Amino acid sequence: MVIATADAIVDETEIVAPPASRVPLVIRVLFGRPTRAVATVILLLFALMAIIGPMLYPNNLRVDPEHIFAGPSAKHWLGTDYAGADVLAEILVGSRYVITSAIIAGILMVAIGTAVGLISGYYRGVAESGLMRITDFMLTLPSLPLLIVLSQKWKFGSPLMMGLILGITGWAFIARPIRSQALSLRERGFLEAARGLGLPARHVIWREILPNVAPFVAMNLLLSFIGSIYAQTGLFFLGAVPYSSTNWGVMLRQAVEGGALQASSAIAYLLAPMGCIMLINLCVVLLLDATDELFNPRLRG
Amino acid sequence: MALARYIAAKLLAGIVMIWAVATFTFFIVHSLPGSPVDAALAQKLAAGIPYEEAQQQIQAIYNFVPTDSLWSQYRDYLWRLLHGDLGQSISYGGVPVRSVILDNAPWTLSLAVVALLISFALGLGVGVLAAMKRNTASGNGLTLSGSFLHGIPTFITATLLFFIFTTKWPVFPYGDAYDINVTPGFSGPFIASVISHAILPLAAYVISGYGAWMLVTKSSVVSVLGDDFVVAAELRGITTGRKMRYIVRNAMLPLFTILALSAGYLFGGSLFIETIFNRQGLGALQFNSIGARDYPLMMGSFLVLTVSVILVNIIADLLYPIIDPRVRR
Repeated sequence: MVIATADAIVDETEIVAPPASRVPLVIRVLFGRPTRAVATVILLLFALMAIIGPMLYPNNLRVDPEHIFAGPSAKHWLGTDYAGADVLAEILVGSRYVITSAIIAGILMVAIGTAVGLISGYYRGVAESGLMRITDFMLTLPSLPLLIVLSQKWKFGSPLMMGLILGITGWAFIARPIRSQALSLRERGFLEAARGLGLPARHVIWREILPNVAPFVAMNLLLSFIGSIYAQTGLFFLGAVPYSSTNWGVMLRQAVEGGALQASSAIAYLLAPMGCIMLINLCVVLLLDATDELFNPRLRG
Repeated sequence: MALARYIAAKLLAGIVMIWAVATFTFFIVHSLPGSPVDAALAQKLAAGIPYEEAQQQIQAIYNFVPTDSLWSQYRDYLWRLLHGDLGQSISYGGVPVRSVILDNAPWTLSLAVVALLISFALGLGVGVLAAMKRNTASGNGLTLSGSFLHGIPTFITATLLFFIFTTKWPVFPYGDAYDINVTPGFSGPFIASVISHAILPLAAYVISGYGAWMLVTKSSVVSVLGDDFVVAAELRGITTGRKMRYIVRNAMLPLFTILALSAGYLFGGSLFIETIFNRQGLGALQFNSIGARDYPLMMGSFLVLTVSVILVNIIADLLYPIIDPRVRR
């Protein structure tokens, strides 16, 4: 679970918007500062890894039984695993499942959460209280035990399935803050004017309220993305989910099962998937404040 | 009067939520494939015991009628739940689920409460500091460290701590809540053993919990700092200590609301931490019950976790008027 704060928004408002230039806004914002540029490049590399990584290796990774739990060497840059397979190859092959399902889950969480939040914030009455009771219910259920129970019922074999289940169970923490923002926006002058003009609800919700919560939505998209990476690798790590192919969570599981925790030489095997997860986390954290500049029209020139 | 209605509404909402969770748990767990009762029944049938007798034996052991319809099982379950009866655990050979949970709960709760207090105090302190120094390099560094630590999943923190401090440098003992060589009791060696076994799990809880507290404190303090009353108080020339008291008292309100959220987070973390450090507790119990398809224990522990989250929520709601006098009106 990730708790979003309005931190980024509070801190960066004093930045004066750069003068309009021919360079597209996205590129200006993402590459405007060195830390952001580095974070963006690393995240793009991970995306590239997810696309072409699995194509670089055959379906069954070649194993080297002579070298089990070997440390990093010229031949195996990140060492080898319990069976002697190359860890770097496993990282590359395993990235696709993790990143694809996290993207699916993140988009789904944010889409459902935003829709529920906006609708229950705009409409009063039965729709609102019904949706909020469902939201409270979803927030109350402990998500990890719930996912473990659900994993016994549905098989999480494909990234699509994993993403769908994470998305369907994880949207509630976005819906609540979006609703309270929508509630407070509702009383503002421009929305009263829009309602007074008799604009349809659809227009008010999507054209008037949504742009105002867009920075928060974008920030939550990033947070949901990393949250989904944690949730799924955690499930695999616990061994709660049966697996057929490799991914970072499965690697962690196999490292622990294979005794990597007791063998100092296996540290590279254990650290490689963890390092990838933490690197993605760090990059996302560095990019969080960029969402405000990207989606908040007031900060633009 | 308004306060009494507020309390009654919160309590009622809590009870409805508990019923909803109990119902949801029952049906989701019963839709899982492969029941252990079926397996036990098949085993007895294969051993040559007549069907009727086998069923009676199973009913006697597990207090469970496998041939009843789902609906009557549900009614039965709710009725017994009202009497505090969570059924019999299957993997523990018919021991009441309630006593299995009561045996394990103190280990989880004690650790979780201590961890919560430490991360709360630490997060509050560092958060206030980061807010006061918010436009300096050190302040930004503190905030960034909070975001980063908050982002690291519990199982990674726990695994790394475990690897570093028991494998690489065996500073702390591994597994269980205390040494098997010391006899439990109120004695020096036992307490020392409990503490040394608790330090790593505690550190894992605190490292993954502290970031959230710190970030929320920081943004909350920053928003209070700009308030008119703070500016007015500064102009009147109050001491820094008094100013901080004003600010923290106001900034604590949002912290209080995420307390309830963090209860659920802690219980989620207990699953990883107890599994990784091989300790007993509710998280480990829950995880093992799923593997063993012990439906009553699975439902019981899931229900207990959820109900404690709901209770924390209710307590937070009830304490809120005390902390924020404006609600009392």
